[in-house]
Amino acid sequence: MAHLRESTDKALKLLRTLPRVQIGNLRPNPNSKQNDKRGRAQHGGDKHGAGNKGSGQRQNFMRLGYETGNQPFYLRFPYEPYYKGHHMRREYPPISMLQLQVLIDTNRIDISQPIDIATLCNSGLMSLKPAELQYGFQLTDDGLDNFKAKINIEVQHASEAVIAAVERNGGVIRTAYYDPRSLHILSNPKKWFEKGLPIPQRMLPPQDAVEYYTDAKNRGYLANPEEISKERLVLAQKYGYELPRIEDDANYKMLTAAKDARQLFHGLEPGWLINLVDKTIVKLKAT
Amino acid sequence: MNIHKLGISTGSAIGRARYFSSVAKPELPASFVKDDVEYVPERDKSGLRQQHKNVLHETLPYNEAHSWIHLTEKYQRNMYGRYGSKSNVNPQICFGTLAERTKAQQRESITQPETLPELLEKLRIRKAAKQAAINEREESIQKKLEKLDQWKAELNAKVEKRKADAAAAIQRKERLIEEVRRHFGFKVDVRDERFKEMLEQKEKEDKRKQKEAKRKVKEEKMMAKLVQQTS
Repeated sequence: MAHLRESTDKALKLLRTLPRVQIGNLRPNPNSKQNDKRGRAQHGGDKHGAGNKGSGQRQNFMRLGYETGNQPFYLRFPYEPYYKGHHMRREYPPISMLQLQVLIDTNRIDISQPIDIATLCNSGLMSLKPAELQYGFQLTDDGLDNFKAKINIEVQHASEAVIAAVERNGGVIRTAYYDPRSLHILSNPKKWFEKGLPIPQRMLPPQDAVEYYTDAKNRGYLANPEEISKERLVLAQKYGYELPRIEDDANYKMLTAAKDARQLFHGLEPGWLINLVDKTIVKLKAT
Repeated sequence: MNIHKLGISTGSAIGRARYFSSVAKPELPASFVKDDVEYVPERDKSGLRQQHKNVLHETLPYNEAHSWIHLTEKYQRNMYGRYGSKSNVNPQICFGTLAERTKAQQRESITQPETLPELLEKLRIRKAAKQAAINEREESIQKKLEKLDQWKAELNAKVEKRKADAAAAIQRKERLIEEVRRHFGFKVDVRDERFKEMLEQKEKEDKRKQKEAKRKVKEEKMMAKLVQQTS
């Protein structure tokens, strides 16, 4: 035991003389910091980690899962049914309720107007790529407990909890389908209006999306409005909150504003020509 | 120092010229500039072309067509969209011709031939077919479940019977072997010829006995029947 005590004493003695752990003698973990400067020539300026040839050098990165001609891993096993038709599936990029609340709190979104894809894209923080099969936004339930805004929002997909969170605050939520051309227009309306073309009609949803958008539970834009108001009550009872009466609301007109199934922009009908410079609407006179 | 030298030399040259001109040449006719208009030096030093300057000032870049592209409908629509009435484009061009509009409508009817009620009807049919398939399967399972106990009992009986038969056959064989051994009075190897012969004989006898027993049973049955019929 004596030798042990001796060694502990030695260790303690050593520890006393060693420098303390403090901010002055700490350094970042090795390789945890990346140098943001790109060395040239002899200062590490060879290939910069991009390799000698191929897609690494050209920085044209392959699509996810692609294995340069091999049968990709995610397609290798023919009995994985959830990958069926994956290249044609509709994608709905997520927006969390927290993000939406932040957008509202930082005045990126005006809640005195109905919110739709164009509003979200015009905030400058969201973007949509219809060419990559993105079919609009889905509102996810992250941060739904802290969601306090009273809004009229139109998204492309929303879960039950999200619908409940919006309606609990006296807001209105609707899910609506937009075809890729409409999405292209809505993702950057200003650019599209500069083309000088009349607003086209919105297309109806494809067969496999009809069920979702005609269901009152999903607040689909093709559902029966009476059923929707019934489902609002049902959801309020299920989640245990009192449904605020939007009929008595001062913003009743704004809150219940909804687009037609063929309409792209609030207040603008298909077939109208909008000029942003003159601020005029040109309509084709029916003969 | 060079400049200084140059200054001196040029000064002397001008002096010389003045001296000679006053002597040899007649005076040139003078041209006048107004003194009330102030000279404004060139401010625009951007070097931009006129069309780009126009774009910068948000006016039409070209007043007249400089390329065949400027005559296309698409370009003119673009100009209307970007510069509005300043572009001098008739907005009628943005709507296309009647033929184009009808063609677009036709295309739309091809890309989306179904109306919403038709889509809903299709959905209803598809759902009904799915539900029918589920119901059919459930019904068939229910029917099978009703008979399950019976089938189980039958199977168990079959298995038991097979087992019992196998046990009986083994017992019979053993009995026969034992009989053969008793006949010889000593232990005979099973592979021995004599043993085999004896065993065959015994088996034959056994079979005959079994047949007779069967026949007897049959006859008894017949007799019983006859007795029943007569009585």
